[in-house]
Amino acid sequence: MSHARRNLSGGMVLGIPLLWIALFMLLPYGIIVTFSFWVKKYPTFVPAFQFGNYVTLFTDPQYVLVLLRTLKISVLVSVASLLLAYPFAYWLVFRCRSAKLRTWLYMAVIAPLWVSYLLRAYVWKTILGTEGVLNSFLKSIGLIDEPSSIFLYNQFAMVVTLTYIFIPFMVMPIYTALEKIPANLTEAAADLGMGPWRSFWTVTLPLSAPGIAAGATLTFCLSFGDFIAPFLVGGPDGNLIANVIATQFGAALNWPLGSALAIVMLVVVLTIVSLSDRMERKGATGGI
Amino acid sequence: MAAIIELENISKHYSPTIIGVDNVSLTVEDGEFVTLLGPSGCGKSTLLRMIGGFETPTAGSIRLADKDVTWDPPYKREVNMVFQDYALFPHMTVGENVGYGLKVKGLGRLEIETKVHDALKLVGLFDKVKLRPQQLSGGQRQRIALARAIVREPKVLLLDEPLSALDAKLREQMQIEMKHLHEKVGITFVMVTHDQTEALVMSDRVVVMEKGRIAQQGRPQELYDHPASPYVANFIGTTNFLPGRVIRCAGERAEIEIGGGRLSAIVDAPLVAGSTVTAGCRPEKVRLLAEGETAENVLEGRVAEVIYYGLGLRLAVELADGSRVYTDSLLPDRLALSAVPPLGQSLRLAVEPHNVFVFEGEVTP
Amino acid sequence: MTRKILLGALGALALTTAAPALAEGTLNVLTWEGYADPSFISKFEEESGCKVNATYVGSNDDFAPKLMSGGGVYDLITPSIDTTKLMIDLDFVEPLDTAKISEWNNIYKKFRDLDGIQKDGEYYGMPYVWGAIAFMYRDDAFTTPPTSIADLWNPALKGKVALWDDKSSIYVAARLNGDMDIYNLTDEQIAAAQKKLLEQKPLIRKYWATAGELVDLYKAGEVVISNTWAGYQSGLLKAEGIKVTEFIPKEGAEGWMDSWMVVKGTPNKECAYKFLNMQLSPLGQCGVANINGYSVTNPVSAKACMTPEQYKDLHQDDPAYLDSLMVWQPLGDRFEAYTNAWNAVKAQ
Repeated sequence: MSHARRNLSGGMVLGIPLLWIALFMLLPYGIIVTFSFWVKKYPTFVPAFQFGNYVTLFTDPQYVLVLLRTLKISVLVSVASLLLAYPFAYWLVFRCRSAKLRTWLYMAVIAPLWVSYLLRAYVWKTILGTEGVLNSFLKSIGLIDEPSSIFLYNQFAMVVTLTYIFIPFMVMPIYTALEKIPANLTEAAADLGMGPWRSFWTVTLPLSAPGIAAGATLTFCLSFGDFIAPFLVGGPDGNLIANVIATQFGAALNWPLGSALAIVMLVVVLTIVSLSDRMERKGATGGI
Repeated sequence: MAAIIELENISKHYSPTIIGVDNVSLTVEDGEFVTLLGPSGCGKSTLLRMIGGFETPTAGSIRLADKDVTWDPPYKREVNMVFQDYALFPHMTVGENVGYGLKVKGLGRLEIETKVHDALKLVGLFDKVKLRPQQLSGGQRQRIALARAIVREPKVLLLDEPLSALDAKLREQMQIEMKHLHEKVGITFVMVTHDQTEALVMSDRVVVMEKGRIAQQGRPQELYDHPASPYVANFIGTTNFLPGRVIRCAGERAEIEIGGGRLSAIVDAPLVAGSTVTAGCRPEKVRLLAEGETAENVLEGRVAEVIYYGLGLRLAVELADGSRVYTDSLLPDRLALSAVPPLGQSLRLAVEPHNVFVFEGEVTP
Repeated sequence: MTRKILLGALGALALTTAAPALAEGTLNVLTWEGYADPSFISKFEEESGCKVNATYVGSNDDFAPKLMSGGGVYDLITPSIDTTKLMIDLDFVEPLDTAKISEWNNIYKKFRDLDGIQKDGEYYGMPYVWGAIAFMYRDDAFTTPPTSIADLWNPALKGKVALWDDKSSIYVAARLNGDMDIYNLTDEQIAAAQKKLLEQKPLIRKYWATAGELVDLYKAGEVVISNTWAGYQSGLLKAEGIKVTEFIPKEGAEGWMDSWMVVKGTPNKECAYKFLNMQLSPLGQCGVANINGYSVTNPVSAKACMTPEQYKDLHQDDPAYLDSLMVWQPLGDRFEAYTNAWNAVKAQ
């Protein structure tokens, strides 16, 4: 009896997540994959099995162009996040003497996650705008005479905004990775004759690589799928892949093409994730 | 022999009230094996870390091979440390770990390989060169840590509780192994430990520390046989403490009255008659008197407890005033356990005067 | 059959979206902001006993996806005249019983006659409001007022131009190229328009997507000239104290018209028709005109509730103005060619 009950509850424990995955992940993916082989026909689209949508994606330069641009923006966001987040996390873990200040600063980085994405993106509009905070500041210190329009509505603004929005996802894993490095390893490096810089390159950096990989993956994937920043702060050359997908599902009413794009996007993201996973696992065997 | 380390009035005050090390001066000779011994918080690790350069003193100076290194960072000092939990780099192989410290020395690839090879051979782990530290046992990691430090041919090797993470059996074995290693490489060893056996077994000289200061230093046997204070007597080995009063003192011989009788002792310095003192003696130096046998110092009491520990027997004997004296004796194999005195039996104990320490004042161990 | 499979698949997708409860007596309307404004809807709810639950769209492109992902949610929709035909062809809406709409015959004939709201001799849409896709500029930025679409291609205005992120941009560029039959462009003409838009791209500050966004762009001093939904954004900007002027360029302007359509199978027919009648009455017509600044389709009601000035400002008395507008037409199977060209411009 109790055995049967245990089986039942065991089944539930396993069954609910499996059902969840099947219902909310596999099924939608299946539908998207199916759609991607269908064909557009006024007024909507009809079932088919053909690769025309995929052929279009790789022959019509507009899609390749947007895909490359999205890759570029995502890489820039990841790199910018890394360059900002790493020194910050490093300072927090190794240099900040006050535990209170450390907690406070860490929370300060994480806290914006509780604020609506849209609101945070809007903030950058008011900062970067022609009559925005940045221009007023530059004018007040006499660096420019006329307000400049080069800060907003372009790819630079998108990178800045996306970096700001997703940087917590870089800080968190790097902070965790750095925190896990035993202090005596850097001491050992110094003991063995390595100056601070070489000790960083040979010990701290490699040991925090899993955190970097996780952070880079998160920021890359989040940026890769973003379509709000292009809308809010991007310029005429700011269309990203997610915007194109949105257009195909909306304005163009071409769900098959949109689905094919979504699949291509999924493949790119999965490739990145599995590469980073491999890297993290390699790092993990180096873990203690 | 020349001094390799000279610590001069070294202090480390974290705050006016928190004092790590307090005005310590210590000289270590080249090639010596010196152990800093004491309970946790006595300042021994802080002292070691200051020698290594991981902490800076708030006062005093550190000289290494006639060069003032007080303010030098670790990577500029010709000392190397074996860390308590070894601090092996998990992302490198054993070979890379050992070779790590050679990379800065501007050696050729081949030269490094040879040195790594030799160092690993020295600790008997050459076959593990390609493995990661995590794949090794505790004892093996310990040896890798040693190899990694020694390969740099430092002037001094610092060892911070190097054996504390090992189990008892392996610890014993490593004590001997490290002693041999010391003899073989001829480098000065400075070790920190809280384990008195370890200190006695391995060191040329033991420095007992108490509350940031040096309590006593000397050869292991010196410390064991002539502890300068109850603190040292208690920390190294086991000691019976018996409160008493000086009856008279002539030359090096003193008569002490204790609760359960009288003791004569050989003392280094004269004692004032009538002053309060504490007499001490090692349990293994106290022996049971056979019937009719006489001795200079005889104490009478009853067996209060019998503790069997394989190697021998420890009897707790309660004296007339209720104080207890422990006596250890090896069990001769022909002595049957039935011959062990039963609880409550009257006994006579003896201890030679030169085996009695006398400390001034009262001691609460 | 095909449709059944499609809807089945879409139904699965729709599992994740919460649908408002479909209740008798509660009208769920999918519409533009202002078309079901509480300022006049409250009164309707009191008088009719029908509750109105409004969901707003940001673009005509929202109607089809929203209706596809599960039927039976909305009762009424208001697509523009370029999208009404698609709704009919998608079988999302049902024919109207015009006899139940008392003011039907007062609606401008021009609108009633539009192809986009009819099929097989039946009406599917009730014309409601209309306007021009006019052009607009900031007064303080021009000494000579612009009069042509070409002014949006003026290199001197680099970084100060905005254009609606819509296939409408193809219509604009085509007219600049002299191709006036903008709803029946050939592939070559579309390609020429695409090329023209690419020429303009370096001048563009932003392709605007929502009314609010365009208002913000003017307010923040980012742009000085753009196209606009006549009457709406200029009204909002004037309220903010920013002086802008709308103009119809010499190349002409597109006209748009939004119609109410009844979603197929609604259980709230009675309330729906009460709602349609209200929207054509002075309450609905002036209600929307006052909120959005759009012209309305029933001049009889308009005359009854507007001041003479408002009546004149909204061109309700000006058939020539109405005739000058190139009212949007359904693009049918040419739709893809237009959107694809526009997407290619944005992708560059």
